[in-house]
Amino acid sequence: MEYIGEHLWVGKVGNVFVILSFVFALLASISYFFSAQEKESASSWKRIARVSFRIHGLSVIGIVVSLFIMLMNHYFEYEYVWHHSNKEMPIRYILSCFWEGQEGSFLLWTFWHVVIGIILQRSAKNWEAPVMTIISLVQAFLASMLLGIFVFEHRIGSNPFAVLLREHPDFSKIPLFSDPHYLEKLDGRGLNPLLQNYWMTIHPPTLFLGFALTVVPFAYAIAGLWKKQFNEWIKPALPWTFLGVAVLGVGVLMGGAWAYEALSFGGFWAWDPVENASLVPWLTLVGTAHLLLINKQKGQSLITAFFLAILTFILILYSTFLTRSGILGETSVHAFTDLGMSGQLLIYLFFFLLLGLFLMAKNWKYFPKQTEEEGIWSREFWMFVGAIVLLVSSFQIMFYTSMPVWNKLFSLNKAPAKDLISFYNNWQLPFAFITTLLIGVGQYFKYKDTDIKAFGKKMSLSLFISFALTFFMIYILQFHNNYYSLLLFSSIFAAVANADYMIRVMKGKVKKSGASIAHIGFGLVLLGALISTSKKDIISQNTSGKSIESLGKDFSNNDNILLTQGDTLPMGNYLVTYKGKRQEGINVYYDVDYFTKGKTGALTKEFTLSPLVQTNPKMGNIAEPDTRHFLTYDVYTHVTYADLESINQKKEATADEYTAAKNYTLKKGDTIFSSNAIIIYDSLSTNFDKTPYHLDEKDIAVKAYIRVLDITKKYEATPVYVIHNSAVQPISSKIDELGLQFMFWQIDPTKGTIQISLQEKKSNVRDFIVMQAMVFPYINILWMGCIIMALGTLLAIWERIKKSK
Amino acid sequence: MKKIHILGIIIIAVAIGAIFTTLNNTSTYASFSEAAKEPDSEFHVVGKLNKDSASVYEPKVDANLFSFYMVDNKGTQCKVVLHKNKPQDFERSEQIVLIGKMTGNEFQASDILMKCPSKYNDGKPTASN
Repeated sequence: MEYIGEHLWVGKVGNVFVILSFVFALLASISYFFSAQEKESASSWKRIARVSFRIHGLSVIGIVVSLFIMLMNHYFEYEYVWHHSNKEMPIRYILSCFWEGQEGSFLLWTFWHVVIGIILQRSAKNWEAPVMTIISLVQAFLASMLLGIFVFEHRIGSNPFAVLLREHPDFSKIPLFSDPHYLEKLDGRGLNPLLQNYWMTIHPPTLFLGFALTVVPFAYAIAGLWKKQFNEWIKPALPWTFLGVAVLGVGVLMGGAWAYEALSFGGFWAWDPVENASLVPWLTLVGTAHLLLINKQKGQSLITAFFLAILTFILILYSTFLTRSGILGETSVHAFTDLGMSGQLLIYLFFFLLLGLFLMAKNWKYFPKQTEEEGIWSREFWMFVGAIVLLVSSFQIMFYTSMPVWNKLFSLNKAPAKDLISFYNNWQLPFAFITTLLIGVGQYFKYKDTDIKAFGKKMSLSLFISFALTFFMIYILQFHNNYYSLLLFSSIFAAVANADYMIRVMKGKVKKSGASIAHIGFGLVLLGALISTSKKDIISQNTSGKSIESLGKDFSNNDNILLTQGDTLPMGNYLVTYKGKRQEGINVYYDVDYFTKGKTGALTKEFTLSPLVQTNPKMGNIAEPDTRHFLTYDVYTHVTYADLESINQKKEATADEYTAAKNYTLKKGDTIFSSNAIIIYDSLSTNFDKTPYHLDEKDIAVKAYIRVLDITKKYEATPVYVIHNSAVQPISSKIDELGLQFMFWQIDPTKGTIQISLQEKKSNVRDFIVMQAMVFPYINILWMGCIIMALGTLLAIWERIKKSK
Repeated sequence: MKKIHILGIIIIAVAIGAIFTTLNNTSTYASFSEAAKEPDSEFHVVGKLNKDSASVYEPKVDANLFSFYMVDNKGTQCKVVLHKNKPQDFERSEQIVLIGKMTGNEFQASDILMKCPSKYNDGKPTASN
């Protein structure tokens, strides 16, 4: 069949670029390899290699541009475009669509490697050939993830240009595709609404740049082993490694900020496998960077430096495997689905792991022997200890996160612990404590040996200030947990000691204090994380009065508050009113006003929060929080339950209509509730004035007296039970002020109960939401620390590059 | 003994500790009948919502109480009492993971994880308008 309006040329062009990028990455790697084996520096191999890598780079850019053209013009004939975008979507989310899918995110990663490779081609000098051999090889592997070709019935890679929607195995039989004009009617599935925010535009590129930067120390380490230049690779690899520390660190915390702002799990860190998968390589990268520093200064800890540089890159590959293979299953909220590339990823992982281990084993006997042991009072010893602590900490995180892998490997049946977050917190707290202590004292130690008396003298001021600050914080925060107090002290100490070092030792020279600034930042990150997490206060409480504790201690979960439209309820330090909902596009906002009570009892409106629920018929309903930021605390709220059915129904209810009747069986004195009143059944009577009811003489009539109380007034309802010609013909009773109508249906003399039904006017039934609200104290310290840490690290790199020129 | 050796021993001890606690600090995936045998232990039960049986959520009475019937992967049906709000989109869930204990004939769940494949993978190409 001839299909009308398809744009198959883009796919063909894109496909050519995919093949070119793979072929030339491979060619670059091979020719760089031969160039590295030669003695002369500017040989013909090198020229071929350089040109090949540039063609590879251009091809990658070609792929990116082709994919953009497809997304911008809504070419839904391509499965990738259909899957990740639609026509309604604002143009600013095109970038997000680009890397929402696995193929796009691999492309983003490949693109950063190209940028790094081009810079290394110009700056790496003697190291260019061996280092670029490795990077080109990594590129060839990554480029193959996009190939989408079959080799012996195994598909290699997934190619966004080659998969047409009408040829996709899941959809090919859909009748739509028997219409040659199908494209005119087709709209895309669209971007997951959860990802439609600016974080999705900035977080992935930052994180993937961080990932990409870990390839540099890896490639240098392999090159150093290969060329038997065991110490020389360190100096050029050092600034790159610290750049990776800064970028990956920001990327990881950006993910936390995104989760805090847009996801409703109530916090910035949940130890989710996907979060752990990017945190762990960061920890080992920090370890690597510090070991490289030791080695550059003192030539020690070489083997560990090699090991960590290689391990970090392997961990990046392993993380990619964990998140992309679908193995995490139900343990993670945001794992990708399997695209059938996990086998391929594992092959790459083991290839580079074995390459690294093989080269280390081969060179073991040539490694320079350490003649003297590090002194116990030397800076290098304690830096080494710090790096090892980070390694052990990342081992603990990775081992637990890999549970689904162990389940699969050893046919186990283990599920993650119920209280996952506190399990991780308890394990990681001692590591964080030691690390922050070491950060505090680190720079006061001198390389080789330290005069311990002078050291003590220099430290005393920081220690004194830190203790004072800690006790002050414990007092104002009412910090009762001793275990947490230790970390409170150590992270304050890390910040204070480094600030003191900067002021007194470096004489306040900001330019030279990059390391101190970065360390202050790290101390603040942990301090902010500790306070905001441990003193997190859930202020929305169950006000129903019904005890949940009676069901067992483990089940107390009074974390939600029910707000009925118009009512004002106390919540934490505030009084809150749910004003109503409004719909904007697919978002339904729930406006909640926050008041404080003055001394006179008058209410002052402080602010309004509008947590929302995103309703998307294709993707389900997703709650997103709304947070009010103050300098010292945040008020964070999200809707946990709202009646979304009524949004979809048209507003037909007029003020006079009644809701469906609800039946109640009541004994004397029983109480029931309507949405606006308390209703009590008082008594029955057969002896009453029957004239207003126009009854026959033979009729049996019983009147019920029902007390109805609202906040201000008392009413009475008197429905009558009538048997007329042996049929029940009840006479209703209305209370118009409250919009209530009662009917009296049955008497059961043996049990002493009656059955009545109650109807309310539709205008009575008020909307309600169930909401969760929490206060995060001092969370701004965390974000501030993150920025300070990144700036300090960048400053240190800048100074190092300037010095080496 | 060198310092490096002492350090090594400490690391190995901590690492073994990490492995050990990891294996101890887990719950187990189980069926309702397996969970009933050990009423004091916490289990993860995987299953599907029985859409024919009534689910009860009356937020005006208690916003943190929701009950429904679930059929586990072995086909056993059991009443579930969830001590939380009714999750948004509950009826659309394709798979449910409950975390909790069996008490009598009811499964008292303290937490729930839902898989709604519609969120990411569902949806077929359809003609608009």
